[in-house]
Amino acid sequence: MSDTVNTLEETIKKETPENTILIYGKGTKEAPRCGFTKETIQFFEKYGYPYQVIDVLNDMPKREALSKITNWPTLPKVFIGGEFYGDTDILLDEMEKKGEVKPLLDRVFQKK
Amino acid sequence: MITQDILIGYVRTALPDAVVSVTDRTGTMDHFSIRVVSDGFKGKGLLDRHRLIYQALNEPMKDGRIHALEIKALTQDEA
Repeated sequence: MSDTVNTLEETIKKETPENTILIYGKGTKEAPRCGFTKETIQFFEKYGYPYQVIDVLNDMPKREALSKITNWPTLPKVFIGGEFYGDTDILLDEMEKKGEVKPLLDRVFQKK
Repeated sequence: MITQDILIGYVRTALPDAVVSVTDRTGTMDHFSIRVVSDGFKGKGLLDRHRLIYQALNEPMKDGRIHALEIKALTQDEA
């Protein structure tokens, strides 16, 4: 089991910085299969920046690797600029109230 | 499904001073909103506060008694 977890962790460590806004969730952008994944998509739709959704609904090994890396048990999992933000109901919600999300995204996308 | 007392019991094993209020969001006793007030959160960022609660509720989340959990985590002076 341990070698598959490592290669999965390596894939995750490669995927997260490559996609400036990355959502690991249940279902796809076009067909989200869970309310929270849908909420997360709607959250980022507002800002007009490109974002990637990776469907891990049926990929238990990857979900376990993700939970291990982030020490976070639930989906969706949001990464911005390679950094983990939980889901949108926590940090991003608070940041949005203070108008801090747009400057964050502007900054992260400028570095591209 | 889990009763609110058992859920609160789990939280208080990790945060003995916690004042916990629970709302059953769907009436099915497995989708909850919880508000936890404890000084165990002092100096901790939002994600780490949530991690603390997820760890306290790890068992009922793993065995499916809890499906969804919305968390508000505050210190006593933030509450």
